[in-house]
Amino acid sequence: MRSLGRILNDLANPDNIPRLFSLVLGIVLIAGLLVPFALNDHQLYPRPEPQSQINAQDPLAPYDRGGVVIADFGLNGNFLLEPGITKAQYPENSAAIGKITGYISPMGISVRDTTLYFGTSIYSSPGGLIDEILYYTRGFDTVLESSILMMAFVVASWVALHFTMKREEEE
Amino acid sequence: MDIATLSGQVFGYIPLGDIVLYFTPFNLFLFGGALLFTLLIALSNTETQVEARFGSLEDREVKVDIGEFKIRRFLAIVCGLATAGAMITGDLFNFTLFAALIGIVNLGLVAAVKMVDVLDSAFQYGIIAMISSLPLFGGAAIVLATTGTLSILELANSTVTPMVTFGSMLLLMGIAGETGVAPFYATKAEMFRTPGSPFLVIIHLSSLLVIVRAIEILLIINKPF
Repeated sequence: MRSLGRILNDLANPDNIPRLFSLVLGIVLIAGLLVPFALNDHQLYPRPEPQSQINAQDPLAPYDRGGVVIADFGLNGNFLLEPGITKAQYPENSAAIGKITGYISPMGISVRDTTLYFGTSIYSSPGGLIDEILYYTRGFDTVLESSILMMAFVVASWVALHFTMKREEEE
Repeated sequence: MDIATLSGQVFGYIPLGDIVLYFTPFNLFLFGGALLFTLLIALSNTETQVEARFGSLEDREVKVDIGEFKIRRFLAIVCGLATAGAMITGDLFNFTLFAALIGIVNLGLVAAVKMVDVLDSAFQYGIIAMISSLPLFGGAAIVLATTGTLSILELANSTVTPMVTFGSMLLLMGIAGETGVAPFYATKAEMFRTPGSPFLVIIHLSSLLVIVRAIEILLIINKPF
């Protein structure tokens, strides 16, 4: 039997740590399947029934989040609309809530009127719920996410420039 | 546990949409400490290690060249700012993002070192940081699914279910792996052997501050007392 000191010594070796960590994480995740599952019924972002929008022949299906453009005054940004269904934790901090989801550009409106498949087309989106959360109610998170990405690129490019490209100089 | 009991009276808020930052004496102290240390690091030079030699009276100086110095200072400042942000944020997902930013910048700080042993252990630390992004974001997602909110001010009033406790446990595992605290310290101890002390100490400081703040947040969410 191995002594405790030897086991602790093995733990001090950096090579063994990721294996131990992934093993413990796997055990915890499997144990998590036994935890009673309870979802909150008042989720922040409600969704309609699956397939209901497609069955209703909605051109924005499956991404119709409500919101109707009442009057559009052209490119200067003046428009009136009914807000969409997006909910916020603090609605008092987000005055234009639901309007990003609800807005469709004049070109998008003309596409919506000609085809049934506007919602699933790649060339244009009906101003998604995701966009509204990413850029409006939780915009600070998006700033942080892209700065994580930027830092990863800074580190990777520095390593590539100094260890990969200048390797012959070092030797 | 109540925010007022744990970290003191709430002085004010910065509302950024759904992400509401709040100030308590505890938060502000950690925030100020992190910013002060970042300022000290931004103004300082690296240390030079002096190694004595056998069989002669000469010393060998281990210096950091200017390119390495610049990238390390930049990453150390970003790490300090991310730590300060993690101290003051009032949103669980925001906190996990700050922790992920600290993890990637810490990795960059040691990746800029030109010593093979250190790079080996930095590689292992990088693997742990990558693995731990699963429990980190997964834990926050489970807390969101079970309570329906991510704002810590709202989570302070939510009911605790076993699923929330499980999510918090995952979150703690993720933060421990991302910042490299106690059981993963062996990988980071190797990193401290390199020259360039003040920039490497920010790795240490950020993990200490983040773990303190994480424990505060988990106590607020789980209300054990």
